[in-house]
Amino acid sequence: MKRVLALFSLICVVSFTSIPSAQAGIPFFGNDDEQPTLAPMLEEVTPAVVNISVKGKREVRQRLPEALRFFFGPNSPHEQVRERPFRGLGSGVIIDAEKGYVVTNNHVVDDATEILVTLKNGREFDAKVIGTDERSDVALLKIENGEDLTEIELGKSSELRVGDFVVAIGNPFGLGQTVTSGIVSALGRAGLGIEELENFIQTDAAINSGNSGGALVTLDGELIGINTAILGPNGGNIGIGFAIPSDMMNNLVQQLIEFGEVRRGVLGVRGNDLTHDVAQALNIPVNRGAFVSQVVPGSSAAEAGIESGDVIISVDGQTIRSFSELGAMVGSIGSGNSLKLGVIRDGEEQSINVTLGAQDMSVTAESIHPALQGATLAATDGNGVEVEELEERSPAARIGLEEGDIIQGVNRKAVSSLSELRAAIEDKSGVIALNIKRGDSSLFIVLRNAN
Amino acid sequence: MQQLSSTLRFLLQSVGLGLVVAAIVIIAKPFWAQSESLRQNSNEITSFNQAVRKAAPAVVNIYSMGEIQGSYYQPQSSRVWRLGSGVIMDSQGYILTAHHVVDNVDKIEVALQDGRRYAAQLIGSDRYTDLAVLKIDAENLPVIPVQSTRRVRVGDIVLAIGNPYNIGQTITQGIVSASGGRVGVSNSYSDLIQMDAVINQGASGGALVNSAGELIGINNARYNSAFGDGGEGIYFAVPYENARKVMKTLIQEGKVVRGYIGISVNPNFSEEQSLSGILITGVERNSPAAKAGLQPNDFLVAIGGDPVRSAPEGLDLVAGSEPGTKLEVEFYRNEKRMTTTVTVAELPR
Repeated sequence: MKRVLALFSLICVVSFTSIPSAQAGIPFFGNDDEQPTLAPMLEEVTPAVVNISVKGKREVRQRLPEALRFFFGPNSPHEQVRERPFRGLGSGVIIDAEKGYVVTNNHVVDDATEILVTLKNGREFDAKVIGTDERSDVALLKIENGEDLTEIELGKSSELRVGDFVVAIGNPFGLGQTVTSGIVSALGRAGLGIEELENFIQTDAAINSGNSGGALVTLDGELIGINTAILGPNGGNIGIGFAIPSDMMNNLVQQLIEFGEVRRGVLGVRGNDLTHDVAQALNIPVNRGAFVSQVVPGSSAAEAGIESGDVIISVDGQTIRSFSELGAMVGSIGSGNSLKLGVIRDGEEQSINVTLGAQDMSVTAESIHPALQGATLAATDGNGVEVEELEERSPAARIGLEEGDIIQGVNRKAVSSLSELRAAIEDKSGVIALNIKRGDSSLFIVLRNAN
Repeated sequence: MQQLSSTLRFLLQSVGLGLVVAAIVIIAKPFWAQSESLRQNSNEITSFNQAVRKAAPAVVNIYSMGEIQGSYYQPQSSRVWRLGSGVIMDSQGYILTAHHVVDNVDKIEVALQDGRRYAAQLIGSDRYTDLAVLKIDAENLPVIPVQSTRRVRVGDIVLAIGNPYNIGQTITQGIVSASGGRVGVSNSYSDLIQMDAVINQGASGGALVNSAGELIGINNARYNSAFGDGGEGIYFAVPYENARKVMKTLIQEGKVVRGYIGISVNPNFSEEQSLSGILITGVERNSPAAKAGLQPNDFLVAIGGDPVRSAPEGLDLVAGSEPGTKLEVEFYRNEKRMTTTVTVAELPR
C-alpha cells in the first residue's frame, strides 16, 4: 500500500511538474481551473526590458533668408547651425547580462550625450553607445558596472508565422513598463519608408511612443523583435506596429560588438519587386520575389554567376517576397559572409552560393576629407568614384566639384573605389590633387589640408 | 471479504503497474520526443497560423476609381483611387465587399494575394447593410471557408483580414464584444457583430474569421459617436448569414429592395431617456411619412402593431417591409397618443 502511495505521489510530482512546461503562458486555452494568463512568462522576461532616458544636443540648421544676407554681408554663413538641448525616452532590451549589452533603436539614442538605463526594479546605470546603424535603426549600448542583470533569451524570427501570439514590452509615454499583447499581422513588411532597410514584423499589439527599442516576445518569452515604429495618422496606435526581426537585429549586433560599426555586405544587384505582369511576361513560375534587372560588374553577385533576369526567391532558405526584403536581409549580414540564394532562372529553381563583398556604396564625403563636405560620393562600376550629389555653396562646391564628376585618381594614383579613395587621401598630407573626369574632359582639383 | 480484498489487491497492483509504466513514459518522453511533439503542440495553441493559412488567400485587395466632387476650396472634381478589401465567396469569382468601397466608382480592380490582378464587375450593392457583390473572371481561385454550424458567441476569438492603408495584407485579432442590436455606420442597420479586432481604412469589406479560419462576417467600419470621434476598440462586421442572403439576392435580382418611410431619428435617444420608442428628428418632404402626417418631435412607440424599443429596431422593421405594405404607426404628439398609417415605399438608391 505504501508503495502504491509512493507511486501515486511520484505520478503527482511528475504530472505537476510537467504541466506548466507543456502549456507555459498560453493565454486563451489554459486549463479550466486556471485563469489564462501570461504572468508566469512575463515575470521572467520583463526584468530584461529597460527604460532608456537620454539627454543631448541636436543641431538645428536654419537657412538664412537671402534678403537678410544683405545685412550680414556676402561672407556670412548660408546656414546657421544652432545646438538645442533635448531629452528623450525609449526602451531597450538586455541581450547579454554579463557584458551589459542593451539593444535599442538608433533613433532613441541618436545625438545623446548622456544615456541612463533604468531597470524594472528601479536600479539606474549609465550606459555608453557601442555602435549604431542608422539605416536599420539598431543601436547597441553597454551598461557601465552593471551587476545582477537579467538577459532575454533570443528567439528565431525566421520561425515566426502570421497569426502567432506576441507580446510587446516597453515604456510607452514614459508611463512605466507596459505589456501589450497581439498577434503577428504580417511578415517581411518593407517599402514603408520608415527606415532604409526594412524587413519588419507587423503586429497589432499596441505600440506607442516610448515603446521604441522595446521587446517583442513570443509566448515562450523569447525575443523575436525590437519594436521600432507604428503607422498612426494621428500619432497614436491604430493596431499597426512594426518590429525589427531578431535575426536581422542579431546579425547587426554581432557586427557592432566586433567592429563597433556595421560592415555591411554588398551583393551588387539592382532590380525591383517581381510583379504578376513581369512574371507572366517572362514566364516565371512564381509571383513574389526580387527581380534582378542589373548585376554590377565585378560585384559578388557577378562573381557568383547571378544574371539579370534572375529572380531571387530565398536567402538561406528564408522566403524573399520583395526586392526591399532582399536588401534588408543582405544589408544586415556582414561582408565576407556566405549566403545561399534560391534563384529562378529559365523557369527552374537553382541554388547559388554568394560571398558578400565589402560595402562600397555612397558615403558623405566629409568623412573622407573635410574639404569635401557637402558632396555625396558613390562607387561606380570600377572606374572611380562619382560625385552623386552636391550641396550648393558647400566647401566641396567651392573647390570646384560638380555633380556627375568622377574622381579617378589622387595625386596621379588611380582609385577605383571608395575605400581606395579613402586610403589614398589618408596616406597623403599637405596638398592633394584629385584627378577628375568631367564629361569628356579631365581636370585637377586641389584639396588643402586644414591642419 | 477475502474475495473482495484480493480483488482490491489485484486492482491496486495493476493500477500501480500501469502508473509505473505511465511514469516511465512521462519521464522518458521528453528525452526521445521532446522537440518534435512539444513544439508542435505549443505551436498549435500559440498561433492562429492555421486559420490564417486557410482564410487569408481568399481575402483580396480592392482598388476602385471614382470621381470626387469638387468643393468650394477645390472647384475641380478629381479622380481618385479608393481602397478596400473583399472576400472571394466561391470558385465562380463572386466577391463580397463593403458598399462604401465601390459606391460611385466606375472602375474596380481586384488584387489577389498571389499577385494576380483582375478588373471586376459590380453585380449589385445594398446601401442598407453596406454590402456589395463583385465578380471577376478567373480560374483556380482561393475560396474562403465558411462558418459551418458554430454560433458566434460574445467572447469568441476573431481575426480580421484586410489591407489597411494599402500596406499589404494584415491580420488583427480580437474577440466578439457583442452581437446584434448595434447601431452601425449607416445609422440604420443594426444586426452587426461588434468586436475589438482593429480594422482601419482600407480593411473595410475584408473577412472576419473565427479561430478555425471560417468566415463569420464582412468587416464594415469603426464606431463613430455623434460627435464624429472614433472609439478605439469598437468595430463592426456584418454577420456571414446576413451577408450570404444579401449576396444571393444581389446575384439573382441585382438589387435588394428595402422599405422606406422617410424619417430621420436620433439613434441614441432611447438609451439616454430610458424610454421605449423613437424620437423623429426629421421628415423628408413628400416621403411616405410626410404623406401620413408624421412630424419632427413625434415619438414613435409601435410600428405595424409591434412595439419599437430602439431606433435600429424600428428601422430594421421598416427596411424589412415590402414596398406597398401599409404600416400602422403609433406615436405620441404633445403627450397625446395618436395613430396613422404609412405606406412603405422603396428605399431610393
